[in-house]
Amino acid sequence: MQGATMQSKKIWGARTLFLLPVFILFFFFFIYPFFFTIITSFTSWRGIGAMKFNGIKNYTKLLSDATFRLALRNNVIWALSQGFIQVPLACIVAMILVRQPFGWKTMRTVFYLPNVISTVALAMVWIAIYNVNGPLNAVLFKLFGTAPRNWLGNPDTALFAVIFQTVIYIGYFMIILLASAMNIPKSLYEAATIDGAGTLRQEWYITLPMLRGNLVTTMTLAMAYGMRHFESTFLMTGGGPAYATTTMGIDLYLKMDALRYSEASTAGVFLIIMGTLVITILRKIFGSSDPMSEMAQ
Amino acid sequence: MRTKSRFVVVVLLVCMLFPLVAQGQKESDAQKEIELRWASIWVGADSKAPAVEALVKEYNEKNAGRIKVVIEPQPDYNAYEQKVRTSLAAGMAPADIFTIKFNPTTATFYDSNLLMDFNKTMDDAWRATFDAGSVEQSVVNGMLKSLPMETAILPIWYNMDLMKTVGVTTVPQTLDEMFSAFDKLKAAGIPATSQMTGDTNAWTSMIWFSHFAVSLGGVNVWDKPFTDPAFVQAAELTKRMINEYSTADAVGLGAGGSGGHFLAGRTAVFSNGPWYAGRADLAETPFFNSIKIAAVPPAGETKDFMISRLQANICAASSKDKAREAAIVDFLKFLTSSSSIARIAETSGGMFAVATDYRPQIDLQKQFYDVNDTVSTTSFDLEAALGAEVTLEFAQQLGALALGRISASEFCALVDRKIER
Repeated sequence: MQGATMQSKKIWGARTLFLLPVFILFFFFFIYPFFFTIITSFTSWRGIGAMKFNGIKNYTKLLSDATFRLALRNNVIWALSQGFIQVPLACIVAMILVRQPFGWKTMRTVFYLPNVISTVALAMVWIAIYNVNGPLNAVLFKLFGTAPRNWLGNPDTALFAVIFQTVIYIGYFMIILLASAMNIPKSLYEAATIDGAGTLRQEWYITLPMLRGNLVTTMTLAMAYGMRHFESTFLMTGGGPAYATTTMGIDLYLKMDALRYSEASTAGVFLIIMGTLVITILRKIFGSSDPMSEMAQ
Repeated sequence: MRTKSRFVVVVLLVCMLFPLVAQGQKESDAQKEIELRWASIWVGADSKAPAVEALVKEYNEKNAGRIKVVIEPQPDYNAYEQKVRTSLAAGMAPADIFTIKFNPTTATFYDSNLLMDFNKTMDDAWRATFDAGSVEQSVVNGMLKSLPMETAILPIWYNMDLMKTVGVTTVPQTLDEMFSAFDKLKAAGIPATSQMTGDTNAWTSMIWFSHFAVSLGGVNVWDKPFTDPAFVQAAELTKRMINEYSTADAVGLGAGGSGGHFLAGRTAVFSNGPWYAGRADLAETPFFNSIKIAAVPPAGETKDFMISRLQANICAASSKDKAREAAIVDFLKFLTSSSSIARIAETSGGMFAVATDYRPQIDLQKQFYDVNDTVSTTSFDLEAALGAEVTLEFAQQLGALALGRISASEFCALVDRKIER
């Protein structure tokens, strides 16, 4: 009995020892900044000097700020675009590639390739594509005779232009869904074929239900990315023109740039709340499966 | 077995700790030498780098065993600014010596006890070497926590080769002459200017706006509310510049694009500081020797002025160690001496708040000194006068103004609400 207790203590000790480095890192790089952000969001602090508690003033100021409301709206558009355009596109491509048509391996690599290229490089390419004298306008003029547009310089088109160049890069989600689709037993399709089901029916009644778990996971990830979107917009438009493409992440960054640390923290808290809200709503609608455990499968 | 394991653990610990103990011993031996870390932006391809490196080497040789200055290269200015901000917010000085772009936003750094107040360490002889106006501009609440080092004027650049193609042979002296020249360029299919509304400050258009605003409202225009008619009129003129006399991509364009148009000879008129004159790609352009710089022709009553800014102020970490503080002051006296500044100016063509006899040999760089010498007064640009947040709003709303989404009055009202009073 005593031997068993000793054994149990040893196992517990070893587990603690192995978990300790991760826990220490997690504490210093997540738990501590998380609570620090929440605390500073209730203060007036410019990053230097003492913090002054000012209640919910930052929150009321943020909610009455038209730029922040615009950023929030844009983030919702981003989240919806990534969740309901990018993921379905990735799913369609995965469903085609899983049938292993000619050159499917090359296609798989081609679709994934943009994910290994730096966001900065891609943003620079797209800035050139969208330029008034760029290839997009040249092609449109040749096809339809349309006048050149300043795609990134017009508030009516800038947000759409930036979202488009992100949404078409489906490689990351496509790989997740493809890996999952490849594990669907072939016998299900064979049985369906014998029963007379065509390709579309097979996809609808076999592939999609079997992918449901991973679809929820990828949609959750995509929408979470959308809620905290920053890089490509910041690189391509800086949130402009006239804040037309700004996001909560950009708003937060610019507040820090202006040494408004406490207001940036408030924006950060909103970002966390909105991200959590999106994940919760998605899981309520599509099921309660744990995205993380499904990712690990 | 257990004893053997414990022995191995003890040996391993000794092996791990020995270098640390040895390091401590080494540092203790060399205690007399004070090492100063300088987080410098003047490194790598920067035109000031060769002179700065040579000066530091020279200083270290002269003070061997006493003071050693170590340059910590900071080649990316945005990353460097982030480092300064986050270090100070985390309660640490980013280095013993570092630089800031002085403006109302960065003036917040003066609240930090981590910065040395030069008012307490500066003797009269040293103070006298600096331009008095620049020193005065660097004082906040009686504290001088950064020394004015690099200054800049922000004139308008004319590619006279391109201007001559439409029959304009001299720099326009009046606004009418300027618009007439621009109309000729426009008729020839050449966008006259490189305007932009992108980045966080709409840099080149911000310079034009600053010229218009100061001319219309006087050198102290930045003290007025942004809804003042001078700003409204300046906004209307800037809008005209963007809509009628710039490239079609001006709205949303960044500084790289704006400069790129000028460098490629696509636009005839540009605006930037003296550092741009030292660029290798500019020197390689066929029109390099034809560039003329001047102020924007006066739009209002105020004439004979130039837009300027403190480009780089130098800061030092405060220290309770008197010897360390003295070492910092000693090095900064050397760095900001007339002879050192002359050497830095020689390689870069930059302008400094320390008076020297140096005059550049390259015509374009020489023009900056000449223009600076001939104007009777200077006034800050919008960013230097009102800070980062106001400038960001200016840049964002300038796009809306150019696109006709808001009027000039609305534009000014939107920028005005960002000004802290």
